[in-house]
Amino acid sequence: MGRKQLTRIGLTLISFGVFLAVWQAVVHLGGYPAFILPPPQAVAQRLVSLVASGTLWRHVQVTLKEILAGLALGAVSATVLGYLLAHSPVAERLLTPYIVASQSVPTVAIAPLLVIWFGTGLLSKVLVCALIVFFPILVNTVVGLRSVSQNLRDLMRTLQANRWQMLWMLEVPAALPTLLAGLKVGATLAVIGAVVGEFVASDRGVGYLLKQGQQLYDTPLIFVGIGTLVVMAQALYGIVALAERGLLRWQKH
Amino acid sequence: MRTPSAGRARTPVDPTMRNGEPLLRVDGLSLSYRKGDGRLPVLDQIRFDVQEREFLALVGPSGCGKTTLLKLIAGLVQPTAGEIHLGGKRVKRPSRNVGFVFQEPTLMGWRTVEANVTLPLELDGGNRKRAREEAQALLDLVRLTGFEDVYPAQLSGGMAQRVALARALVHDPQLLLLDEPFGALDALTRERMGRELLRIWQARRKTVVMVTHSVPEAVLLADRVLVLGPRPASIIAEVPVNLPRPRTEGMQETPACSQVARRVREALEQVGLQ
Repeated sequence: MGRKQLTRIGLTLISFGVFLAVWQAVVHLGGYPAFILPPPQAVAQRLVSLVASGTLWRHVQVTLKEILAGLALGAVSATVLGYLLAHSPVAERLLTPYIVASQSVPTVAIAPLLVIWFGTGLLSKVLVCALIVFFPILVNTVVGLRSVSQNLRDLMRTLQANRWQMLWMLEVPAALPTLLAGLKVGATLAVIGAVVGEFVASDRGVGYLLKQGQQLYDTPLIFVGIGTLVVMAQALYGIVALAERGLLRWQKH
Repeated sequence: MRTPSAGRARTPVDPTMRNGEPLLRVDGLSLSYRKGDGRLPVLDQIRFDVQEREFLALVGPSGCGKTTLLKLIAGLVQPTAGEIHLGGKRVKRPSRNVGFVFQEPTLMGWRTVEANVTLPLELDGGNRKRAREEAQALLDLVRLTGFEDVYPAQLSGGMAQRVALARALVHDPQLLLLDEPFGALDALTRERMGRELLRIWQARRKTVVMVTHSVPEAVLLADRVLVLGPRPASIIAEVPVNLPRPRTEGMQETPACSQVARRVREALEQVGLQ
């Protein structure tokens, strides 16, 4: 491990320590009861008990499945439709008004409808996730494909590249930076989508834990839930960022 | 070709004196774009031939449609009227018979220098090892040996254009189309690149059609200079460059050379340029 990395880890630890100290101080000085603002050690205890009993992992697994399936569905459909929109002016003119209109309806408002149509199980949450990640990935796909240089397209044409070669050897790599930026946004939005879906109707998942915490005034549980979601979103973002670093090494010179 | 030795040691002959079919025949080429109710003419009745191994330069005001003319020859754009024949065959769509070098260095940023050069061969599904050997030979020719694994972001403008030139040559096209290949470079690099191109052309002897803004560059490199008028462009003058080959930069100061340059400039002045 390099010296720079050690410094970075050190700084992160220090900032986390300061955060905990401020939190503790606020609880202590404000004299808040635990159900309003629990002290850090109460949250830590709750975390340990949830982890030890396997409860947290069970719920995390459910939410993670919803997120990954939703992200995959949303990303694939958005990329395919984005390719169509970028290549067909007719499709663009026909579909754009609906796509934009659909974005002025908050996905949160559609969630109850999805539960009625598709039940309280996995599917309705996956769909909420997919809907929420769809638009940013779609926009980035279209922007990315449009940014492919006309000269490079012409070059490929003079070399008689076929449609597949055009796609895999030019369009995909050229649009990849923008595509991955969209996927990074999508990854964090997917976490929100899953929780929204679980809020509407669920009997498991991290969103369900949050609802439980609210109903039982188990504030430490809510804190554990929030922390878990943050870690999940960070991890997803980190995975995409890592993939980005590997795939776009050519940019970093 | 009647003379078998013509390839190796070509004597400075007037290319129009050659027998047989020209490699490229541009015949009555016109192009206009639809604009509102009417049409916007871009090219008007362009007609010229290019013999095999000839180096033709096109000069003319910016925006007169020189780039469009090259794209027509490459089959990337279809004419409104007229025909183009390359190697005896009518050009109807893009074909691998041309190598194109654009004004901006048009390299794939995600491919290394070598992978950029091998691209035309890869698209054809050829042998990888052969492709690498070909690329290596061309990178040697454009003096970029040792830069095989570098990404384009690390190259200077002049180096990037040399890679583009190597790429345009790698699939051994019949015709090389150069669209102001040094237009985006600074003056010093531009001069050096002119010399490089001269050397590379003398080594490979491709048939070349080059668009340029620089009269000295045109005169130093070309066998013949065509001067195009403003939009809608037509050919307003044809100036043969009867300077001996192999040419050197020193020739630019000779009276013969200045005389040719003056004739090109006069033609450009006629259409209110320079």
